Amino acid sequence: MGRTVGIDLGTTNSLVAWWNLATGQPECIAGPEGSSLCPSVVSLDADGTIVVGEAARRRLLTQPERTIYSVKRLMGRGIEDVQDELKLFPFRVDAESKQVIRVRLGERVYTPPEISALILRELKGWAENFFGETVDRAVITVPAYFNDAQRQATRDAGRLAGLEVLRLVNEPTAAALAYGLHKSQRGLVAVYDLGGGTFDISVLKLISTGEGDIYQVLSTNGDTHLGGDDIDNAMLAVAREEIRARHGAGLDAHPEAVQELRKALVTAKHTLSAEDRTAVRVALPAAAGGAVYAHEWTRTELERLLEPIVARTMGPVKQALADAHQKPQAMEEVVMVGGATRTPLVRGRVEEYFGRVPHTELNPDEVVALGAAVQANILESGVSNMLLLDVTPLSLGIETMGGVVAQIIPRNSTIPASAQDAFTTGVDNQTGIVIHVLQGERELASDCRSLARFTLRVPPMPAGAARIEVKFLIDASGILQVQARDLRTGELRSVEVQPSYGLNDAEIERMLEESIEFAEQDFAARQVIEARNEAESILAATEKGMAGEAGRSLDAGERAGIGAAVAALREAMGGEDYKMIRGRIDELNHATANLAEAMMNQVLHATVEGKKLSEV
Amino acid sequence: MSATNTETTAMCWSCGAPAGGEHFCAKCGRIQPLPRGTDHFHFFGLPRKLWIAMDDLETRFHRLSWKLHPDNFVRAGAEERDLSLERGSQLNDAYRVLRDPVARVEYLLAIEGMRKEGATKQQAPPELLEEVFELNESLDELRSSREGNQHGAEMTALRRRLEEAAHGFEARLAEVDEQLMAAAKVWDATVDSGDAAAGRAALTRMNEILNRRSYIRNLVRGVNEELAK
Repeated sequence: MGRTVGIDLGTTNSLVAWWNLATGQPECIAGPEGSSLCPSVVSLDADGTIVVGEAARRRLLTQPERTIYSVKRLMGRGIEDVQDELKLFPFRVDAESKQVIRVRLGERVYTPPEISALILRELKGWAENFFGETVDRAVITVPAYFNDAQRQATRDAGRLAGLEVLRLVNEPTAAALAYGLHKSQRGLVAVYDLGGGTFDISVLKLISTGEGDIYQVLSTNGDTHLGGDDIDNAMLAVAREEIRARHGAGLDAHPEAVQELRKALVTAKHTLSAEDRTAVRVALPAAAGGAVYAHEWTRTELERLLEPIVARTMGPVKQALADAHQKPQAMEEVVMVGGATRTPLVRGRVEEYFGRVPHTELNPDEVVALGAAVQANILESGVSNMLLLDVTPLSLGIETMGGVVAQIIPRNSTIPASAQDAFTTGVDNQTGIVIHVLQGERELASDCRSLARFTLRVPPMPAGAARIEVKFLIDASGILQVQARDLRTGELRSVEVQPSYGLNDAEIERMLEESIEFAEQDFAARQVIEARNEAESILAATEKGMAGEAGRSLDAGERAGIGAAVAALREAMGGEDYKMIRGRIDELNHATANLAEAMMNQVLHATVEGKKLSEV
Repeated sequence: MSATNTETTAMCWSCGAPAGGEHFCAKCGRIQPLPRGTDHFHFFGLPRKLWIAMDDLETRFHRLSWKLHPDNFVRAGAEERDLSLERGSQLNDAYRVLRDPVARVEYLLAIEGMRKEGATKQQAPPELLEEVFELNESLDELRSSREGNQHGAEMTALRRRLEEAAHGFEARLAEVDEQLMAAAKVWDATVDSGDAAAGRAALTRMNEILNRRSYIRNLVRGVNEELAK
């Protein structure tokens, strides 16, 4: 069994964290470029190579049509849900898209869970490099306001990345876990989480009991299509309009230039959190006038664009407080999560509303991943003095006569939660009862989110004679399970639930078959490459040492021993067994112990000789 | 903490000892399946009474959460994982219902066979018929004057009249809640005394009150929605 990690699969950036037993604290794991932030960007080269993270982000400028970002916005959604956002994305959605969106990257077509799986696999790789061990289980965070389809898509992505998803945890709840650990605070806490693409608000009660601390979510609300991305898009729209007005030609035919402009504006947005004004200069392509976009952005200008976005967050905030039967002043702490909460305007508005200075001492980018690592540790260790009681964000209902929804599990119910209902036939010899499950707060089925439809099979009987009891259960990850029982015979019936927006089991199996092999190969291949690299450097050092004075100081027997170890290592390097390579490296290290010492002495000698005593 | 169930025939699925419908087997400590029909009061080890001390209920909820939450069973076998999901979800369902005074009464009526679970029969209280009639007239007037784009004094007066009516019905709602409380006390007393006939009468009365309550509540909600437009 491998390691377990916590992963924040974000719209803009993703992170992986682990529980450090030695320090008793969660810690983020940095990638090869030294940062713990992995841009949630995936790029596909013409030769089929997949690039993820910072390197892929750079390709947004050079190969926008082969690069995808913000894929989280497409998770668990149908093509008709995302028409507005697709206008803003440079990548193309495949014409074949039906219930599951398919994105075209160069020659290949991917579903959003597959793209997310590539990001997860990248983070898994970071963690495996860090531990030197396989990582096969994870706690992954999702926006609290994600519906069932979006959660399932995230869980599918985990599976496709070769990870057993122990639990999906709501992002604001994860933040509260990390925060509570940090402050050991008790009482009512509001978490305001404005991320790259989603907004969540959660109200929690932190309780001390004899067994430990309980983090009980009282209510949650949000908007899965509201975030920092929207600010970028608003800035971009203003800038493009200005370019069109000033230079006559727009940037419609120049996706690269648009990405360049977007990048410059995002930088300006970040700068404006600290400064009052910042100059943006972007050279425009010759075909678009060849001029330069030069504009001094002011904080006032940015805030004018930001204001409606902040205003949109207040509706969910009020609803969450109402559902928790609380007033804003009752919150003892307000925790800020997500990069967008660095903006002074957002902080100001939140402070104004709650009448309290929000907490910003935790890094808003890292806090969710850290919380995921806390939960991973709770689940992994089995014994814990922390317990998380989360809620389902949306009411669950079933369609009844006339397209009206009968609510069976209300929103903000603590999960796991369940409800049962008995169904019967309406006409003689009816052999199936169709059940339509929905999520949402509206009264008509057509206004709610369709989760699944399934048919209960019954033997032909007079109308009303069949009695099937259906149990709807929302598990601790917020995902629906359905069980049916024939009340006449008492036997359980399996229910084939076809998700309305999502991949079915067969599709996942097929994708898994394609990807699992990769996963195993990936880890082994990376280990071989690393072992080879290490072998190269030790071989180079040995060669250098042997050729020098230190080498000549060794006796013939020792020189022969080193020669044999070098030959053995070279032989192992030709193969694919990284354990053997590592073993031979150890042997060579052992054989060259005297050589290394002699070399060290020499270096030390040379250094001392060349310097005054006080400098040594 | 125990769910003292009368069903004592159940055997522990793991060690075969009598488990008696408890959350855990007394002998081997394994989590037990939920006997069919275990009601929410039983689950919490509470009598079937409507007066419940909220802080005691919350303490019981937290204590059981520590034991039954699926988090504790992530590393257990599939059987125990399923059982913790089953018991853990009933724990949450039971707490959700019992902590809400009205939902608690509805639930009691359902398990006592007085009412289909989740069914709400709205009953127009006869003494309110005249007021309801007037209210509906005012609502119609408001809608038609809105369609006719009428503004000014007439509209304001109409709105004020509706607001007053809504306030009046809200006061009625408070009265109904008091009646419900009184009937609940009668029920609790019959649980102690064992007077089955008086118990049925209390249940019937609560059922009527609830029907009236949901009628008035919908009325108030309808008016408020119309006023908010």
